[in-house]
Amino acid sequence: MADATLTAAAPHTLLKSSLLALPMVLLSGLMLLGGPNLPRDPLRLAPFLAVYLFVNVLFFRMLRTGRTERYRAAFFIPFAVAFVISFLSNLIEARGSMQLTAGDMASGRTPFCHMVIPMTLVPAALTRTIIFPGSLLRGFAPVAGMFVIWIGASLALGRGFCAWGCFFGGLEDGFSRLRRRPRVRHIAKVWSYLPYAVLVAIVLTSAASLTPTYCMWLCPFKAVTEFPALTSTVARFQAGIFLSLFLGLVIVLPVLTRKRTQCGLFCPFGAFQSFTNKVSPVDVRIDRERCTDCNKCVNSCPTFSLDRESADRGGTRLSCCKCGTCVDLCAKGAASYHVRGTPVGWAPERARLLFIYPAFLFLVTFGGGMLQEALHRVLLLASTGRMIR
Amino acid sequence: MRGLLLGLSSGAVCLASCAPVLIPCLLGESRRVRADFVLLGIFLAGRLAGYLAFAVLAWSVGALLRPQPRTFALLIAASYIVLGALMVVFGLDRPPAACPVPAAGRLRRWQALVRPPLLPAVLGLVTGLNVCPPFLLAFAEAAAARTLGASLLFFLAFFLGTSVFFLPFPALGAFRASAALRTVGRLTAVVVGVLYCGMGLGMLR
Repeated sequence: MADATLTAAAPHTLLKSSLLALPMVLLSGLMLLGGPNLPRDPLRLAPFLAVYLFVNVLFFRMLRTGRTERYRAAFFIPFAVAFVISFLSNLIEARGSMQLTAGDMASGRTPFCHMVIPMTLVPAALTRTIIFPGSLLRGFAPVAGMFVIWIGASLALGRGFCAWGCFFGGLEDGFSRLRRRPRVRHIAKVWSYLPYAVLVAIVLTSAASLTPTYCMWLCPFKAVTEFPALTSTVARFQAGIFLSLFLGLVIVLPVLTRKRTQCGLFCPFGAFQSFTNKVSPVDVRIDRERCTDCNKCVNSCPTFSLDRESADRGGTRLSCCKCGTCVDLCAKGAASYHVRGTPVGWAPERARLLFIYPAFLFLVTFGGGMLQEALHRVLLLASTGRMIR
Repeated sequence: MRGLLLGLSSGAVCLASCAPVLIPCLLGESRRVRADFVLLGIFLAGRLAGYLAFAVLAWSVGALLRPQPRTFALLIAASYIVLGALMVVFGLDRPPAACPVPAAGRLRRWQALVRPPLLPAVLGLVTGLNVCPPFLLAFAEAAAARTLGASLLFFLAFFLGTSVFFLPFPALGAFRASAALRTVGRLTAVVVGVLYCGMGLGMLR
């Protein structure tokens, strides 16, 4: 992601790192197991042990080296790939196809996606209607459950959700790292306002039509999840839009720019989530006394959340997803995590720990299960020749 | 009175239907609150013109004009596409660069004079012709009215009832100083325009 070598921040000693990692060792085990007993099936036990070891090694390294971004990405990207594998496998097992029929929608069998949250709020407030064909309480990813998860994550992480929880973001995060150097270096700042425009547009049109406009017309991730059955010209037209957006925003542009272009230039949920940065307790600040205006942070920010103006003001733009890229990159330690209400530059490592603990735990909780499921599917394929039960 | 009460009761629906067009316009134009009231007035006037024109047409021809569902759907689709195209034009519109050619300068001055009232009025007209549910009511009432005057009066009262809900919108002018919001307004108009064009094309099949 960065154009220059990441520099170490404040590494901890081996003993201190081990002590700090201990709660994560216990909590991650609890979250990944989902119960008191180890799985008996070897095809379940092996993924659990692999993921458990993987996440704790990553977290330990995060503490030991003082670096955040590379270890976050090391889990975040496989998590996104695992989501696609596990989601599609479950979908085909349950339904036989990625296509969503009218019957599925009518019976509320559509798993709720967090991207829908901004569109559902106004109609729900005004008409007490959830404009999404999912179940409120039952089944996989019910509406109520996803709302609760979102509220908790928003209060703790703000837009950090986009760097530590969104399984869609991990796909383009991965594609953005395929080239060593970008082919496209400059994108006009005006495009960084497009996510907010898409947000306003889909909220207004969804309230007007009482249908989830983004899901029906603009979602790039329909290409790797589920989509309305291709039984009409309109559905095929919409599928063409989804595929084009996915190819362009999630694959091609990230490869060319080495940035998360879907997140930074299009995603309305990310724009919505930006406002939660106003209430989350930790943000990223630039200490102007240490900053040498080298612009490494500005050039390397994956979501266009840093520019010269914001850096001169001593902070990031509202869209900062707290991925840690600028913090790890800054040779002078000017960029750092910061607890609101404290002076800039005060105890930056403590602020980092206060953030990465809940962030990483959220990542493990949200993504650990998907990673286990994906590994289980791969082992199933290797042992039986079939990924679907 | 019946028209007024009906307007007051369904104004929220009208508001929701017109908001995707009106809000980007108000945000993107970046005017004072007072000027935004003028813009709103022009938009509503265009909308009313659309309603009344079709009410007259429907009453004049009566049952003959009662369209088949397919014809109606095509009309709605066409107006969605036109509205979408207008929104995209509004969103991408920029003041033309200075040019030494005198004719270009005259064109610029004419455009600067005509465009501000023209575009909101046209947007209001097309919005009133397609996306607003009371348009269907206008058609039914107009076709059944005994006199043209009664039909127009009913619809005027209905329109006044719904317009009350639009009054808070010019307050968006309080944010005119924010360049970021102006940019978001313009881009929102483009996105809404693209969505409406897509919806209209989808309705053609």
